[in-house]
Amino acid sequence: MLIILKRVFRTAWQGLIRNSWLSIACITMLTISLMILGTILIFNNVSNELVGILEEKMDISIYFKREVPEEDILKIRDELIGNEKIAKIEYISQEEALAIFEERSSRNPTIMRALEELGENPLAAFLSIKAKDTAYYSEIIDEVNSSAFKDKLMTVDLAENQRVIERISALSTGIKLGSFLMIIVAALLSILISFNTIRMAIYSLRGEIEIMKLVGASNWFVRGPFLLEGALYGLFASFIAIVILMPMVMWISPKVQSFISEISINSYFWSHFWYIFGIQAVFGMALGVIAGFWAMNRYLKV
Amino acid sequence: MSLVYFKNVSKAYNGSLILDNVTFKIDPGEFASLVGRSGVGKTTLLKMLLKEESPTKGRIFFNDKDINKLKNQEIALLRRKIGMVFQDFKLLTHKTAYENVAFAMEVAGYPERMIEKDAPELLKLVNLEGRANNFPYQLSAGEKQRVVIARVLAQRPELILADEPTGDLDPINTWEIIKLLTKINELGTAIILATHNKEVINTLGRRVISLDGGKIIRDEEEGRYLI
Repeated sequence: MLIILKRVFRTAWQGLIRNSWLSIACITMLTISLMILGTILIFNNVSNELVGILEEKMDISIYFKREVPEEDILKIRDELIGNEKIAKIEYISQEEALAIFEERSSRNPTIMRALEELGENPLAAFLSIKAKDTAYYSEIIDEVNSSAFKDKLMTVDLAENQRVIERISALSTGIKLGSFLMIIVAALLSILISFNTIRMAIYSLRGEIEIMKLVGASNWFVRGPFLLEGALYGLFASFIAIVILMPMVMWISPKVQSFISEISINSYFWSHFWYIFGIQAVFGMALGVIAGFWAMNRYLKV
Repeated sequence: MSLVYFKNVSKAYNGSLILDNVTFKIDPGEFASLVGRSGVGKTTLLKMLLKEESPTKGRIFFNDKDINKLKNQEIALLRRKIGMVFQDFKLLTHKTAYENVAFAMEVAGYPERMIEKDAPELLKLVNLEGRANNFPYQLSAGEKQRVVIARVLAQRPELILADEPTGDLDPINTWEIIKLLTKINELGTAIILATHNKEVINTLGRRVISLDGGKIIRDEEEGRYLI
C-alpha cells in the first residue's frame, strides 16, 4: 500500500513538473476561481455585518401623550411583551427621555438654553420596541395603530418610522438575496472555468492514459496520479489565491471603513484567515479531483 | 492447449465487414506472422486480442479463457500477459526511457528494488544503457522501438503482439528489431508479428497467416509473402 502511494505521489509530482505549462494553466484558472470564492466569503461577511448593523439600529419608539399615566404605559408594555413578533421592549419615562436628550444635546448650547427657558420637561414617555425580525416591524406598527390604546399615542412618529423601516427591511432582504445570488453565480462560474481547463488538460493527455491502460494498468492505477495532481493544483492555487487576497484586503479595508466605520474587512480577514484559506484549499482540491475524475472516465474506457 | 484461439471471429464497422469468420490457433512459444495489405484487418485482429475492440461475432480465447467475458480488472491482468509493440511506439512522452520500462513493472506490482535492478538490465539488453534518462523525443525511431521492446520484456509476457513494428524504421533498425523479436521468441515467448514487409517475412521462414478480403487465404508453417 505504501509503495502504491509512493508511486502515485511520484507520478503525480512528475506530471505536475514535466507538464509545466499545463500545470500553470490549471493552477491559474483554479487561482481565479478560488479568489472569487475568497472574495465571496469576505463580501458575504461584510453584507451580513451591514445587515446586522442596520437591524441593530432599527427600533420602533411608541410615544405616548404626556397626560397618559405611567401605570397605563407599563400595562401596555406588559400587553405587548406577549406579542411573539417582539423581541424586547424598553420603557423610557419622561425623565429618562429628558436625561438622554440632555446628554445628546450637551454640546449644543442653543438647545440647552431653550430647554431651560421652557422650564418644564417637554418630552414624552415612550416604549422602545425591537422586533424578532426586521420584516415584523411594519406588522407591529400596523397592530399598534389599530390597537385599543391608539388614542393614547402620538401616532405621527409611527407613520414616519414605517417608511424608513420598510426601506431598511427591503434593503437588508435585497443584500441577503443579492449576496446569495452572487455566491451561486460566482461558484458556478468558477466551477465551469476550472472544470473546462482540467478537462482540456486531461484531453491533451488522453494518449498517455490509453498507453497506460494498454500496458495493463488498472483504472485506479491510472487515475490515482491524475487525481492527486488535481488535488495538488487546488492546493497550490489556494496558496496563491490567499497570498493575492492579502494586499487586496489591506487596500480595500480602509476604503470600506471610511463609509461604514463599524465594518473592518481587515480584521475579519485576519481573524478568519485559516477559515478562508481552509475553505479555499478544500474547495480547490475538491474541484481538481472531481474535475479530473469526471474528465478521465471517458478515456479510461480502453 | 493453445495460447490463442480465434474461433469464427467476424468484425464489422458500420455494417462493413473487416474480418469474416476467421479461425486460427497460436501455440505457446510460437512465432507467427500475419500478412496482408493495409486495411485488411491485421491491426483489428490484434486489438481484439488486447480487448481494445470486441468481435461482432465469434469468440477469442487466451489460455482457454474467453476474452469477451473478462471483467475490467481481468482485462488489466490479460494485458500484463500480452505485450504489444506498436508502429507508433506508444511511449509515455513525459517519462524517460527508464521510467517507461519501470512503469510496466510498477503496473504489474513489482517491488521497487526489483525494478531498480531489472529496468537498467532490460535497457542494456536492447543496447540503450546510455539512453536511460532520455525522453522519447530525444530518441531516434529505432531507439524508441527498442525502449518499447524493453518495456514489453519488463512485463514478462506470454505473448508479444508486434503491429508493424518496423513500419517507421530504416533497414538497419528494422533488422535489429526483428533480431530482437526472434531472440525473445527463442527464449520461449510467443510472438504474432503483423507486417506487410515482404523481405522480413521471407527471411524469417516461420509460420505465415495471410489475410485478404477479411478472410484467411493461406496458413503455412514455413510460409512466404505471396500477396
